[in-house]
Amino acid sequence: MSAPVETQGLVPSDVHEHVLAEAERIKGWGEAAERVARDEVNQPTINNWLEAMGLDNPRFTAGEAPPSMAQVWTMYGLGGKPSEDDPLHAMMRVLTDAGFTAVLGTNCEQSYDRYLAVGERVRVTTALDSVVGPKATGMGVGYFVTSRNTWYVDHPDGRSERVATMLFRVLKFIPKASEEQA
Amino acid sequence: MTSPITAGDKLPEWKLPITPTLVVSTAIATRDFQDVHHDRDIAQAAGSKDIFVNILTSTALCERYVTDWAGPDVQIRGIAIRLGAPAYPYDTFTFSGEVTEVDDGIATIKVVGAVSLGDHVIGTVKVAAA
Repeated sequence: MSAPVETQGLVPSDVHEHVLAEAERIKGWGEAAERVARDEVNQPTINNWLEAMGLDNPRFTAGEAPPSMAQVWTMYGLGGKPSEDDPLHAMMRVLTDAGFTAVLGTNCEQSYDRYLAVGERVRVTTALDSVVGPKATGMGVGYFVTSRNTWYVDHPDGRSERVATMLFRVLKFIPKASEEQA
Repeated sequence: MTSPITAGDKLPEWKLPITPTLVVSTAIATRDFQDVHHDRDIAQAAGSKDIFVNILTSTALCERYVTDWAGPDVQIRGIAIRLGAPAYPYDTFTFSGEVTEVDDGIATIKVVGAVSLGDHVIGTVKVAAA
């Protein structure tokens, strides 16, 4: 069955079909671009975070890490870049090449299975969850791209334990100003 | 907080001045080196009024706000945020919150962090309602 392409005239149908086909291809990679945190969960990094956030909790100087730091451990760091097989990065590139050059974070949903402990080293995977659009927003016409990160701790007995997940959604869009210029 | 978390509980309002130091120190503490969070010239060239608070910090401030209210033993299960107006230096965060539901041992707390331009972050924080 070939359903009509629903773009409401916002983008050319060939562009829309290309975006959706690429989204399906990249979704098929599943949990990809795995990387291991540069450092173990460690007290100095926790202390810097506590000072910056102004959070004072004795648990976080007694072996536990703040839950919302889960993402911090696997940040790319200064000058770090996503790998070519990173699903979010790949989908961003598809949309940039199709003219959707601007990006805006819209949603971030983190779930914590447990708090991390000093000395643990996490690894993270990235999957493309969904690409929805086109939508006409206040910022311009674009697609909502949602990725899913999953953090694991690997145990000496070979068991992989999921410790946190995150759905992250961005709007990848054509800025209104550039539409007017076009 | 000593009594159990109950639907309808309101969190006390919390104000946090947004200084350049806050924006930069929290960005670096979350290991987010994107230039728009520490370099005003680049942020303005990209169309922003100024540097702005990064997303990891928006989430972290929801964690802090709920922890300051619920106490250090609170077990946070999840923080889901929707992002709105940017948080620029020389503005002020005003956080407010309310427990919207307690179900199956999990309390859901709606948190709003507003700035002068509107709501910067609308969050849903889930905690164990021990």
